[in-house]
Amino acid sequence: MYETIGIWVGAFFTLAIYSFLYKENPIYRLAEHLVVGISLGYTMAITYDITLKPRLIEPLLSGNHWILLVPAVLGILYITRFIPGIAWLSRYPIAFLMGTAMGVSFPLTLKTDVLRQLEAAMQPFYMSGMPWHEIFGNIVMIFGTLAALIYFFFSKPHKGLFFGTGSKIGIWVIMLGFGATFGFTVMGRISLLIGRIQYLLGDWLHLIE
Amino acid sequence: MKRTVPLMIVMVGGILMMVQYFIPHQYSQAVFTNYTQWAPIVGAFALILGVGSLTRVHSHKIRRKTKNWQYSWAVLIPLYGMPFLAIIWPQSLAGGMDSPSIFHFFFMHIQVPIQSTMFSLLAFYIASAAFRAFRAKSALATILLLAAVIVMIGQVPIGEIFGRWLPETGLWILRYPNLAAKRAIMLGVGFGILATNLKIIFGVERNWLGGAGK
Amino acid sequence: MSAVSKWEKMLNLDRRWIFLAIGIASIVPFLIGFGMPISTTAEVESIFDYVNGLDKDNAIFIGFDYAPGTQAENTPMGVAVLRHAFHNNVPVFITAYQPLGHGMALGALEYVTNPAIPGFYQSVSFEEWADLREAGITDKDELIASWESDGNALPEGAKGWVFEGRDFAMLGYAPVFSLVILGMTASIENQFPQDANGNPLIEMPMLREHKSLREVDLAFTTSGSSACRSWIVYGREKIGLPVAFGVTAVMATDYYPYIQSGQIIGQMGGLRGAAEYEVLLFENGITETTDKAFTGMDVQSAAHLLIILLIVMGNIAFFAGGFHKKTALKGRG
Repeated sequence: MYETIGIWVGAFFTLAIYSFLYKENPIYRLAEHLVVGISLGYTMAITYDITLKPRLIEPLLSGNHWILLVPAVLGILYITRFIPGIAWLSRYPIAFLMGTAMGVSFPLTLKTDVLRQLEAAMQPFYMSGMPWHEIFGNIVMIFGTLAALIYFFFSKPHKGLFFGTGSKIGIWVIMLGFGATFGFTVMGRISLLIGRIQYLLGDWLHLIE
Repeated sequence: MKRTVPLMIVMVGGILMMVQYFIPHQYSQAVFTNYTQWAPIVGAFALILGVGSLTRVHSHKIRRKTKNWQYSWAVLIPLYGMPFLAIIWPQSLAGGMDSPSIFHFFFMHIQVPIQSTMFSLLAFYIASAAFRAFRAKSALATILLLAAVIVMIGQVPIGEIFGRWLPETGLWILRYPNLAAKRAIMLGVGFGILATNLKIIFGVERNWLGGAGK
Repeated sequence: MSAVSKWEKMLNLDRRWIFLAIGIASIVPFLIGFGMPISTTAEVESIFDYVNGLDKDNAIFIGFDYAPGTQAENTPMGVAVLRHAFHNNVPVFITAYQPLGHGMALGALEYVTNPAIPGFYQSVSFEEWADLREAGITDKDELIASWESDGNALPEGAKGWVFEGRDFAMLGYAPVFSLVILGMTASIENQFPQDANGNPLIEMPMLREHKSLREVDLAFTTSGSSACRSWIVYGREKIGLPVAFGVTAVMATDYYPYIQSGQIIGQMGGLRGAAEYEVLLFENGITETTDKAFTGMDVQSAAHLLIILLIVMGNIAFFAGGFHKKTALKGRG
């Protein structure tokens, strides 16, 4: 019974959102506003229940972890954002989280997105037994990366053999990449629609399994 | 106090955590452990900013009776109703059919369908955009269009009807030229992130301070 | 009516006709059901092979790092890997990068353990097997033998037992999750003193055997945003944690560099990736049928063909009407 009512309500709101395709209307607007309230309300409940309660409140109440008052006070300072006169105090927790998170991520981002990528770009075109399309692919990959980098390098005019030709090849490679992304984007959007059709035809109307 | 102390916190915190990575000493590890335990607690309170702003905007709309003010109740009631339900009915947080509850119902049967359907609307708009805007106006646009069509057909089962070469060509585009373009972008973005991190840590970039209290 | 105005009329077609066409293309294949075969790719096979090589002595993380908006793509991926892990008795820690992902993770777990869904796993809650745990019975094979000798019979249609705390732990969401991943490289329990149901992690056999991410064999993240990168940045690059991606199609092309560099084991890209994993599960006898991702692929074919047709028609009208020589075309709707 609970599930059945749930599915009917879900189907109603699904159709309410699709009604926007024809015309904007009050039911759509209601659904649009509900989603904002529920998502933040859910986030509050979950954050309290599985973060603040076991990590802060229960250890503090047990009386052994007074040191946790430091992050608690720091966190509470966020409230000052809404109190004129002391709103600047809200910068403290922001500064703590932002500064430390950037420090922590610096060496790891350098490794992930720069060093490992450079390392992976330096590889032989050819190895014994490699099919021709892989050899050609490796050439495209290595010179393509270089050419695309040249295209994004704006400190020099895109003229001459190196910068001129390089940037021209670069934009071709980038366009191939963007084309692939567009193809995948279409696929992704259709997949989301498929999910809803499965819900309507399957879970709600039982027309499909 | 208003600007210098936050800037100092960012600089000291940033440098400390950066250096910590290279020092596997027990004191360094203790700092790391405490920090990773504290960060989620501080982060959890950041929710106050979102809840506070949303409440302010919508209560203002209701008070002033601005256009469509009635819908603001549809934001505020579940915003505070959901945590209230969770408090009076704690087991409902676990969700599931074993413990049906209004809390679970609101999430699973209202939030999930609405949000999923909103995203799926994009399928209709992308089809419309494909018809109206996707033109082979130049050689570069044609390349983009061809790559998109090959990948689109190659990724679905019907593509195999035209022969294995079509999905294989689609995969080749993904694995080589696409990879080259995305790696170049990744390197650029990576350097950008690193430069921004350093600018913030050393106080060159200060926009994050905002205007609160000057 | 002149030829030019005919093309112009075509280009200014009310977009609601296009919406209707997409709607029809998305419904009809479901009702007919072509069931076209899907071939698998190396990117997905590598994840399957890796998970297939794990057993009860290993452990994996599955991160439900997405909001409901992309559930149609992400949930089938999480469900497929969860089923694979349960089949091989691999303990699974379930997490969520964002709060709404917590609900998605609960939904996926419920789907795999729901007796109404074919091929389900019978879940045993942490409390229910407390006596056996206190008696020191935590090995999966011994646990099943003792549990069944206590008079518990596997329900009809169930694929096996899964014990909370032995086979899975629902850790759920935590704020600033990238730093939580970093913290788990030192200790999982420090980051999650309790699971989402309030059970203390320290009492869970799977935690005692896998205290930190260093003792975990894979993090599979099914993600609808760049959240998946955090598993590489803070897990893979910090301690060498093996990572695999299940990402929405929109993001999939961006992460090919991580595959080639070996930073991720493999990647499921969109619904197609999930469908491939379902096919691999089915072909290897791990499931008896394929699931929602596979059935959706017929519609995917039809919709792609329609969109390509729309692109071709749009271009024909554009060039045949001579609009490429003009600066602007009057648009409507």
